[in-house]
Amino acid sequence: MKIAFIGLGIMGRPMAGHLLDGGHELFLHDLKPVPQDLVQKGGHACRSNKEAAAQGDVIITMVPDTPDVEAAIFGPDGVAQGLAPGKTVVDMSSISPIATKDFARRVNELGCDYLDAPVSGGEVGAKQATLTIMVGGSEKTFAHIKPLFELMGKNITLVGGNGDGQTAKVANQIIVALTIEAVGEALLFASKAGADPAMVRKALMGGFASSRILEVHGERMINRTFDPGFRIELHQKDLNLALSGARALKMSLPNTATCQELFNACAAHGGSGWDHSAMVRALEDLANHEITSKERQKGAA
Amino acid sequence: MKAGFIGLGIMGRAMSARLIDGGHELYVHSHKPAPKELTDKGARDCRSAREVASHAEVVFTMVPDAPNVEDVLFGENGVAQGLTPGKIFVDMSSISPIATRDFAGRINQLGCEYLDAPVSGGDVGAREGTLTIMVGGSEKAFARVKPLFELMGKNITMVGANGDGQTAKVANQIIVALTIEAVGEALLFASKAGADPAKVRQALMGGFAASRILELHGERMITRNFEPGGRIELHQKDLNNALTGARALKMSLPNTARCQELLNACAAHGGSGWDHSAMVRALEGLANHEIGSNERQKGAA
Repeated sequence: MKIAFIGLGIMGRPMAGHLLDGGHELFLHDLKPVPQDLVQKGGHACRSNKEAAAQGDVIITMVPDTPDVEAAIFGPDGVAQGLAPGKTVVDMSSISPIATKDFARRVNELGCDYLDAPVSGGEVGAKQATLTIMVGGSEKTFAHIKPLFELMGKNITLVGGNGDGQTAKVANQIIVALTIEAVGEALLFASKAGADPAMVRKALMGGFASSRILEVHGERMINRTFDPGFRIELHQKDLNLALSGARALKMSLPNTATCQELFNACAAHGGSGWDHSAMVRALEDLANHEITSKERQKGAA
Repeated sequence: MKAGFIGLGIMGRAMSARLIDGGHELYVHSHKPAPKELTDKGARDCRSAREVASHAEVVFTMVPDAPNVEDVLFGENGVAQGLTPGKIFVDMSSISPIATRDFAGRINQLGCEYLDAPVSGGDVGAREGTLTIMVGGSEKAFARVKPLFELMGKNITMVGANGDGQTAKVANQIIVALTIEAVGEALLFASKAGADPAKVRQALMGGFAASRILELHGERMITRNFEPGGRIELHQKDLNNALTGARALKMSLPNTARCQELLNACAAHGGSGWDHSAMVRALEGLANHEIGSNERQKGAA
């Protein structure tokens, strides 16, 4: 299949690589020069999104945020100018569900199909082709594109109509942020009460409080490994989608709002680039106590 | 071994039965006459906690809250009056870690050991002998009681000194409450944005947002099954232990505080006896939208 791939950053580059490895012909564009490894695998570097879209039957975008998707599709020399009826636009970026419905409608008006297909699983999932892919769009278009998704991910779900894939991604990011915060409050309470947080985490692992986040991020909080991982500034973008969505939908997301404020407090202390599990540092600041400080004192004594 | 068990509610009754089935001689006491199912198995119904403690080498309690434990121990005809040096008192109730340290100190002064050993896993875990047991106390006392714990539970962890078992239980209940709230916000956002919450839950199950709570309580929220399970009023007691503890320890637990407020709002609407997953109803009240109501409208149309 002829595929245009726009956005070749940390995520897009390995995803495009899997499509090339799967035997597809790729037409590539990025704001920066196209990475050489993709050209060496046979990818064609294009001068614009318009040119890439003119060559591809399926156009995939993987860019940072809503305005970037809008610029890539509808901006000067954008995808829309290279589209012809029957082509499919697949946006795999994580962006606003509300804007997505608008973009999908405008692409449909050009006689083309649209899927929103945001992913979770990060750089590791992109490299290992184990991404979770949450898709919004028609059954027919999903069936058409599914073989491409299967080259990039493992857990692929058609959630509903356009925008519903992005909505699922927002829901995912709400749960991840709030569960990090939950584990942070719990381990910090345990530590400040004088218990060993590592033993508490172990005691809780088999029970009803267990989750991948208690396992992975609970350990990060205890070992103080806050190298990303997933950066706080990216999770702030996702929670902004949740909170601006909630405002537009007229609903209250109280703990999502608190978690965003805790991320903001981390950013105020230079933490935009910390792993999102470092949200616990904002709680530690409020408590004037660090999860591991008692052990350090013992070690120092 | 001669063992005692005080408090024969839903949990204590099932745990007592497992000790008898394990071949132990059991002395029991409760504010009501002992259930026939226990006396039929050979349990001896004592007239007071004091009488239980005078017969048994190890005395267990399983009662609702810290004042009940204090009454069992130090009230008129209480355990303390029947204890002789060398005996072990094991409190399996979920109570305050701070009160626990006080009780333990007073029991130690009588020449006896104290273990705090709260459980999670509910009445199903109690009947099946699969409770998670979080223990605080001395290694020596733990080693003596461990064979009895193994008749009642599966995931048994010695967390640390007296009070640390209760601290682990509080940490567990913080995570459970806050993760229920997280799943509630996420599925409610999805539903209000027009996506099918059942499909969103399914899309998220394999990924980083996955947890037993997304699996079990996420399903309860979608299928509107709020029969307990873990009652809201009991979780309120646990979060009260967390929040009173936090105040005493001088630390902030912002989302625990909010979850307690949401549970209070449920109670205001007659929900003290609802399953704790019904916390989502307080969020639904704020959003003026019920999870899955779009789908039900569609079904009716």
